[in-house]
Amino acid sequence: MQQQPTAQVASPPNPAPPTPPPASESRSEAPPKQVALAMDRLSQAARLIADVRLGADRILEALFVAAQPHQSTKPLQSFNKEDASMRQHLQDLRAVGKLLEESGVLNESLRSRSNSWGLHMPLVCPDGAVVAYAWKRQLAGQAGASAVDRTRLALKAFTDQKRRFFPHLDDGLNGQSLEAEPKRHCGSRVSIAIQEDDRNNYKTLSDVLIYMEKEMPNVKVFTHGRLDWLKRASSLPSSANENLIEASKEHSFHSLNRLRPSSVGTVSVNTDKVAVIELLVPSVFRAIISLHPAGSVDPDAVAFFSPDEGGSYVHARGHSVHHVFRHITDHAAMALQYLVGVKAETALLSLLHWISSYQTLFTKVCSKCGRLLSMDTRSALLLPPVHRPYMDTLVSSMKDQSTNLSQAYHLGCYTERT
Amino acid sequence: MPFSYGSRQSISRSFLGEFRPSLFLAEAMPLKWVLQWQPNPGTTVNSQILAEVSQCVEGINGVKEGRWKATLTYYKPILRDQAMSPEMPRDFIGMSLPEQPNKYYFTLRSHRIVVESDVSVQNIMEKLQSYKSRVALIFEGFQYQLGDFQLRVGKVVPSHSENLRGIVMEVEYLPISSLEKSRQIMEEFIDIWQEALSKRSLPGHFIHVEPNFSEYGLSDHYTSQHTAVQYATVMAQLIASAQAVSTVRN
Repeated sequence: MQQQPTAQVASPPNPAPPTPPPASESRSEAPPKQVALAMDRLSQAARLIADVRLGADRILEALFVAAQPHQSTKPLQSFNKEDASMRQHLQDLRAVGKLLEESGVLNESLRSRSNSWGLHMPLVCPDGAVVAYAWKRQLAGQAGASAVDRTRLALKAFTDQKRRFFPHLDDGLNGQSLEAEPKRHCGSRVSIAIQEDDRNNYKTLSDVLIYMEKEMPNVKVFTHGRLDWLKRASSLPSSANENLIEASKEHSFHSLNRLRPSSVGTVSVNTDKVAVIELLVPSVFRAIISLHPAGSVDPDAVAFFSPDEGGSYVHARGHSVHHVFRHITDHAAMALQYLVGVKAETALLSLLHWISSYQTLFTKVCSKCGRLLSMDTRSALLLPPVHRPYMDTLVSSMKDQSTNLSQAYHLGCYTERT
Repeated sequence: MPFSYGSRQSISRSFLGEFRPSLFLAEAMPLKWVLQWQPNPGTTVNSQILAEVSQCVEGINGVKEGRWKATLTYYKPILRDQAMSPEMPRDFIGMSLPEQPNKYYFTLRSHRIVVESDVSVQNIMEKLQSYKSRVALIFEGFQYQLGDFQLRVGKVVPSHSENLRGIVMEVEYLPISSLEKSRQIMEEFIDIWQEALSKRSLPGHFIHVEPNFSEYGLSDHYTSQHTAVQYATVMAQLIASAQAVSTVRN
């Protein structure tokens, strides 16, 4: 709406907001009162904005009606009326905005004040959220939260609620849906049923970790809480430590053996907070898998890195600086989507199993052309076979190494095949 | 990053235990193979070959990135009793590498010793006057990026002349720092490289002589000390070929 400096045709009754106290007075008020005033003004502003929206609608309606043939002066009257009230609303809004600005709501100018009783003025954050007390937002861990974080939190809240109020819609993560499973399996081949029963034995995160320790001795598995992982990522690369771990593998195995009986008891307690799984094949790759929610068997992101890489970009949604690992990460994202979509409760196990097949990344030749390195025509890069099939992991036995899981293809070789 | 050895708290925090022995080692670097040009018997290296090699790198999609330069110095001892000097080792080499501007590397190939020291050690040597430079060589040329590979092609010239003595090539594979894990990839790359180069019918080929790193006390994790040892080996090979040529001539 263009703002033109014309006199108002009529002064319609406008819902006059209570006269706000002058700015100097508000500063001498105690902080809680200031905060309350600011909250009031914010809600005023919200109401005014709503009024402006309604007014705009009405003006457009009046214009539309006026454009129809054979009309009386009624549309013109209503247009004038709306125009006047709109201008008034906008003026009021400007006034309220000025007050809010002066009281430090739209910026953080009052934060540095010392006598604010630990309270701060309500803050209108850049992404539009209004927070009554800025420190409350800090407490909620949302300081400067971005849209991604807010979406994630919203999704989490929704999933939790769904689980609570609609358990029968769940995918089998709680006991109530077990009777639904035989229905899904009927009609499938017997061999699949056997394999899937095998997989169903590994339902919880601890089971999955135990499986990995038993079946994939070359792959080191570490679990972390989300914040713990950030710290660890920043302290990488620790290739020196990996070297020593290899040398002291004997020692570590024995001490782990000794500790295992007692640590099994602690495992079930500690897996609640596990949000990041790190798979390390020394000198070959490091894969990071993120679990959401923490402690569950639901992977939501995976990324591959060189074991020598370190820094805060090393996380399940990050990208390696090396081409080979970037390509594998892209491929892994598709594998993750597929495995979660096909059968969510064994997705993590299948994913970890599939990731472990990459331990031969730099030694296994392509199953099509028989070479290790090949020039990828699209990217003009020399790459080892980065593509390992994930689609048949449900059919093949997990213990059988000679089937699909041990095949590898160059990017170009795979697309030719399919 | 010190971690307490076998800390119980860290074991209870994660499933398999994150206990790490506390010890500080040099950071691992991507591994590198140093190749040298071996001219066919009866031929010598010339700048035309160097140009062809550079073009070949660009032909396999290498992207020229910048220049590189390394220096290598043969030292001889300054003794009061010059009669002793034949008994002293003649392969005492000092080397500066572009990727480590603050370091200086000494190798004594006959005794399989390699030492990494600070670049300021050269000042000490200067003051002590115990060892003086006998021959100084420069390796310089262009650096190319080929996806996860980094190639350096360089000419070998004495420090005060433009007399081309040889051609070296460094092949670095960035994602891996383990020599053993990368062996297959590097061998395949060399095959691809040799194949591309053979189309140009040059009078010679690149060879890679791998030193026995464990004899120098070096591990499977690649470091700049490995590079220094490779260059010392390259020099030994260059000298041997030059001597073979001169023997044939005489």
